[in-house]
Amino acid sequence: MDYPEFKDLTPDYITGNLSEAELISFKQFLEKNPEYQVEVDEMLSVWNCFDEEIPKPTVTMDTHFYNLLHTAKQKQQKKILLFSFPQYFFTSLTKQLVYTFTVIVLGFVAGLMFNFEEFENETEGFTNSEVEDVRSQLVLALLEQPSATKRLQAVNEANKLNEITEAIIKALFTTLNSDENVNVRLSAVEALSKYSDIPEVREGLVSSIILQESPLVQIALADLMMVLQEKRAVDSFELLMDKEDIHNSARAKMEKTIKFLI
Amino acid sequence: MNTLSDNALMLKVKSGELDALGLLYERYKKRLFGYFYQLNRDPWLCEDMVQNVFVRILKYKGSYTDENKFLPWLFQIARNVNNDHFKRNKKIPEAGILPKYEISDLSFDPTMEENKKLLQEAINKLSPEKKELVVLSKIQELKYRDVADIVGSTEGAVRTKVHRILQELKEIFIELDKR
Repeated sequence: MDYPEFKDLTPDYITGNLSEAELISFKQFLEKNPEYQVEVDEMLSVWNCFDEEIPKPTVTMDTHFYNLLHTAKQKQQKKILLFSFPQYFFTSLTKQLVYTFTVIVLGFVAGLMFNFEEFENETEGFTNSEVEDVRSQLVLALLEQPSATKRLQAVNEANKLNEITEAIIKALFTTLNSDENVNVRLSAVEALSKYSDIPEVREGLVSSIILQESPLVQIALADLMMVLQEKRAVDSFELLMDKEDIHNSARAKMEKTIKFLI
Repeated sequence: MNTLSDNALMLKVKSGELDALGLLYERYKKRLFGYFYQLNRDPWLCEDMVQNVFVRILKYKGSYTDENKFLPWLFQIARNVNNDHFKRNKKIPEAGILPKYEISDLSFDPTMEENKKLLQEAINKLSPEKKELVVLSKIQELKYRDVADIVGSTEGAVRTKVHRILQELKEIFIELDKR
């Protein structure tokens, strides 16, 4: 490499457009002629000064994106239902039989694979964990929404998670203890019940009993405590029953639960 | 660590697995935001533009093929979003309604700060087309060939232009430095 060629390739070196062979010969030239390093440095400092301070996007951008994604998924599901049902019912009997048979065979094969396949694809595993991350973020973003429907969707998404994170658990407890909508709170009980094998979740559920004002949530928690046979819940239920404005059916349920647990 | 390529994820999106778009968003949201920010300096608008890029990906996912390279395809969409916005709507959002942004801390070096100011002046003197070429060339993994695909030019033409811009910037910088 000579100087004119070196000069011509300097911008390509700076911008990362040199081939491997060119890069090697460019570096060799610089080693032999260190006096030209200053030219590279000058060009590099010009190039690097383009790296200005870029502000970080806000969380709102994420929220908007995940709302967009959620809406797109809903539309897609509606489309699938819309197109698949009429097609199924209006096609010929032979086609229906072939379709049904195919579904049965596929189900059988899938069952076999499920039972016997122990090999796990690493790539797929990692991708699944990425999907989990995205789903977790979706849950957290949707739980912040003012719309109760969105918050319900968030809790439903949380139900689909294979691995729960501390942030999700905290968010679900915040929902259970302070969400204004009863249905959302009930869904939170259901979602949290899946993780009742975690000691912190159990403790959290027991602690939240006293905070509940809705009879429906009180009954749901009483049912759950019976299933979990959680004796620590007795005190909480007794404290709750001391309140005056407890609904009769909720009171009866709690009494039954206390008798069962003692 | 092994992970699915952008191309594989985009093909999943095309086939209807929309969750894969979330992964692509997480991979590219900052780079897209940075690209828009360097072109129009309005963070509020940049967030909208990033959103529009993904709206268009969903809309035109059917046109994506195995032969496409994802990154150039993504930035082609981003470029169109930017151009379309300024063609259609020249309104600038009021400063009062812009959200506050956190500026990342930079270690303080007086010489670097001074150089940065001088270069900023020089960059501001570049035409929008030239500036866009530099911004695209700065994006990691984008080569002259990819930039050419994005701006609808040839690899050779992009190379020549980038060379000229760098030379031009260097001269402006040296001139400013002499003041």
